[in-house]
Amino acid sequence: MTRSSPLAVALGVLGVVFIVVAALYAVGALQIATSSATGPHYKHAILFAVLAVASFVGANFARPKTAT
Amino acid sequence: MAPLTLAQALFMGLLQGASELFPVSSLGHAVIVPSLLHWSFKQSDPSFVPFLVLLHLGTATALLVLYRSEWVAIIRGFFTAAIRGQMKTDTERLAMLLLVGTIPAAVLGVFLESRIKSLFASPYVAAGFLVANGFLMLGFEILRRRAEGRATLASESRREQEAHFGSAEQISFLAAAIVGACQAFAFLPGISRSGVTIGGGLLAGLRHEEAARFSFLLATPVILGAGLVEMPGLFQGGVPVGEYLAAAVLAGIAAYASARFLLRYFRSGRLDPYGWYCITAGLASLALLHFSL
Repeated sequence: MTRSSPLAVALGVLGVVFIVVAALYAVGALQIATSSATGPHYKHAILFAVLAVASFVGANFARPKTAT
Repeated sequence: MAPLTLAQALFMGLLQGASELFPVSSLGHAVIVPSLLHWSFKQSDPSFVPFLVLLHLGTATALLVLYRSEWVAIIRGFFTAAIRGQMKTDTERLAMLLLVGTIPAAVLGVFLESRIKSLFASPYVAAGFLVANGFLMLGFEILRRRAEGRATLASESRREQEAHFGSAEQISFLAAAIVGACQAFAFLPGISRSGVTIGGGLLAGLRHEEAARFSFLLATPVILGAGLVEMPGLFQGGVPVGEYLAAAVLAGIAAYASARFLLRYFRSGRLDPYGWYCITAGLASLALLHFSL
């Protein structure tokens, strides 16, 4: 196990959390920091989906590489 | 009824497209100029937001056309590096720098943009921030001249001086994130998005032309994304899509021409003329607004 593994795991978990948050905004179940208190918030959902992608990319960068 | 006449829509398209990429704040101009011209259209009209969306999509399209081959390489580089988990080429690094630079702007944009814009959407405030933007541009150049002085480049020509600084691919990830976050200052009408990102690039050690290139590449996903998420508003009844599309095309043409001009200008030019323009235009606007001329 190399030192970068915990970071990769943390970023992977963060990515999953962001996906859940994105889904909650998309279905209108989450209303935190939104301009209206009802309905879906696609702008927030897209943002958290992008953050999820960035987290997974980061996790892949942080994952231990095998020598080729 | 449309909030704008066709002539006003075309004028606003030209103004937005021309001023979006120049470091002079398109939002500031969009707030100040209609007030100075005593135009009485309602910016609160439901069809005004789709109008702004189309203008921004016009500008984003111009940037995509300008950098079309580079964007193809950047997107390919992004997926290659993301899947491999390693950056091996300059293009792959640039793709990741753009991702890192875009995220802070997107987060701040989604959570703060509408609140900040509604707080400061007054022509007086916009004129005041335009003056501040001018001093900011001059400040960036003062710091840059100090860096040139430390590197004893004073005796060299401008092109030789510029050659000592780096390209967009060489900026650090921290600097890319900070430059990206600086885009949030552009929510203040009068503060220029391209101005703060070009200035940030200069502070990070980029050549002027490369700072402008990084600024334009960084702006593309933000402008495009902000436009696309507002697209559903275009399909509401009462939106004069034909007139607004004509204005968007004009905005795109103006943005393309201004980007080409700026990339050429920044091979040896500096931000100073735009700084002086902003100070002069801001002070003149304040005087005109105050005396209701």
